[in-house]
Amino acid sequence: MKSTVRRVAAPLTALVLTAALAACGDSGGSGSEKQAVTLWMYPVIADQAASTAYWEKVEKDFEAANTDVDLKLEMQPWDKRDEKLATAFAGRKGPDVVLQIPDQLPQYVKNGSLEPIDDVVEADKAKFLPNSIPGLTVDGKVYAAPIYQTVTTTIYNKTVLTKAGIAKPPATWDEIKAAAPKIKAAGFSTLDYSASPETTLNLNFYPLLWQAGGKVFADDGKTVAFNQPPGVEALTFLKTLFDEGAIPKSALTNANAIDNQPLGKGTVAMAFTATPANAATAAKTWGAGNLEVGTPLTGAKQVGYGIPGGLAVNAASENVGAAKKFVSFMIQPAQMQALSKATGYFTPRTDATAEIADPTAQKFADSLQYAFPGEPNTAARQVMSLLAVEIQAVLTGKKAPQQALDDAAKQANALLGR
Amino acid sequence: MTEVGVGRSSRARTPRPAPLRGRHGPRRRAWVGLVFVAPMLLLFLAFRFLPVVGALWLSLTDYRLSGRWKFIAFDNYTRLVTDSVFHQSLLVTLTYTLIFVPLTVLISLGTAMLLHQVVWRRGFFRGVFFLPYVTSIVLAAVIWRWIYDVEDGLLNAVLGLAGIGPVDFLGDSGSVLASIAVTSAWKGFGYSMLILLAGLQAVPASYLEAAQIDGASAWQRFRYITLPQLRPVLFFVLVIETIGSFQVFDAMYVMTGGGPVRSSYSLVYFLYDSGFKYFDFGYASAIGIALFLIVLVISLIQRRLVGRDD
Repeated sequence: MKSTVRRVAAPLTALVLTAALAACGDSGGSGSEKQAVTLWMYPVIADQAASTAYWEKVEKDFEAANTDVDLKLEMQPWDKRDEKLATAFAGRKGPDVVLQIPDQLPQYVKNGSLEPIDDVVEADKAKFLPNSIPGLTVDGKVYAAPIYQTVTTTIYNKTVLTKAGIAKPPATWDEIKAAAPKIKAAGFSTLDYSASPETTLNLNFYPLLWQAGGKVFADDGKTVAFNQPPGVEALTFLKTLFDEGAIPKSALTNANAIDNQPLGKGTVAMAFTATPANAATAAKTWGAGNLEVGTPLTGAKQVGYGIPGGLAVNAASENVGAAKKFVSFMIQPAQMQALSKATGYFTPRTDATAEIADPTAQKFADSLQYAFPGEPNTAARQVMSLLAVEIQAVLTGKKAPQQALDDAAKQANALLGR
Repeated sequence: MTEVGVGRSSRARTPRPAPLRGRHGPRRRAWVGLVFVAPMLLLFLAFRFLPVVGALWLSLTDYRLSGRWKFIAFDNYTRLVTDSVFHQSLLVTLTYTLIFVPLTVLISLGTAMLLHQVVWRRGFFRGVFFLPYVTSIVLAAVIWRWIYDVEDGLLNAVLGLAGIGPVDFLGDSGSVLASIAVTSAWKGFGYSMLILLAGLQAVPASYLEAAQIDGASAWQRFRYITLPQLRPVLFFVLVIETIGSFQVFDAMYVMTGGGPVRSSYSLVYFLYDSGFKYFDFGYASAIGIALFLIVLVISLIQRRLVGRDD
């Protein structure tokens, strides 16, 4: 028996000792006085080599300018980013600085996970695009400093338009309605649309709602406003196009993408919330000569969707001061221009011009002035889920637009009042 | 569960005069056995059992993202009972289970019986049938989405040749669950097939030969010998497939996003949205516990109906 115990105990003891020694080694190694700032960054720079090069340079430059801070970069995947961040924040182990976009922000603010950083952006506030800082502001306080700006706009497949005999690409709702029968007669759909509940409404229904002059939420954010006349108008527009076959029948399950979707297959004439990356894919798929980049659609007004990406500071960080120092460093023109060059996104500062090499992406610059960052609300995602279901009910003929929007509004208001 | 079972049975056996070959007593033998299963037992306790207890506790709180919470007793459960989305997702899950489980068991049993007959290259065919099981469900779901596509999917092209369609398999509330069940069955039947095949091979050939000599037809041999002999295995397969079916999520997430109009919005999808989209962890845990209880009750019913005496 003794020998059995010894046989089991000896390797176990060795294992425990090794682990303990390793742990000691760890703590011994980081015994300096430097303040550690951990950054969670996502693949905003799609090319991995370029991403590594950019962020390593940022780390080197920042640490050279701030010798008392040790910046630790942790690259995270986009996939399940909220699950990971929420879990980390809940466990009080989140990063000191993290990338945030407008629709993520309010829920973390509500939970007290983020630190206001008005002081960081105060000095240069006037130099940002009109919707950049407001897109990252919750209840009058700035919670993230914009480091890049995205934009979406309308793209056209010229081959389809030519085959349908349409010379001027439709840029307004009325022009779309007028073009749809001709495009259908040529055997194509007119407008790409994703009504899948997993696609954010910021890329399908909301831009139409804003173009109709409507809003998702009332000004106080405590009730919804999408069931007002502009909402009904937008949904009726959508339903009419769907019934006429101007929107692909697979819209209910389609993603907002090009590959393996009607756009990529060349069976639809236009998409109204395309990103520069979508346009690049379209240029490759259709041939660069067949891609036309327009500006966002015009209903009652011209609005597109485009968001700032910003850096936020963890309220529970042990080094809030050092974290803010890093955010200040990142919103300087030199960092933004280099980021713009690497990502293909625009800079949110008007005094730092974008350095985008891709000529297709450059064409999106005209749409920046129409970029609206959405309506932040802590219940934004739940409201989207409720509304997406009702929009499907309209498209499948189960409900009329007004009825569906009222039903969604009733559920959403109950949720907002909870 | 296995570890606990082993522990208990060893203890139960201790009073009996066991025919020991070694020099150690039964008590010591049990102790050594425990040492061997201890790592697995500890892992099981840490990563399976404790999270379940944690979820049970969370379901009695209003725990959200911030980490601040208060004890709200059964409020989450009261909310659940009156939540129309819960009712809808429960109905979807039950309907899906009613389609998926018989379909998978029939396909598994059918292929297992075919393989049981095959003598030439049985291993090869077994591998081929098992192949979908080792592919990712996400990959399978994407491919089947293309097959079901209403505009230029393979299935609609074939139906078109016969002058039928196009059918919107995933966009129609009536067909969406069956379409997803077929995908999941295609992906998952290999595992049950292997278990049933092992069960078939364990049926003593002498019984079947005797019945054949007595003039029993192939159907009678299957109905009165193979099937009763297979019952424990069949019970296991039924339980496993039912549990799996109640946990359906990935295929629906990839293929339909729960649509159209929540026609494929399962309980786990509802749990996922509540927890990771809305960060309502307390409520999500209550859904998880409700799911656990439902599966438990259904498994017990199945045990009464199919698995008695086993």
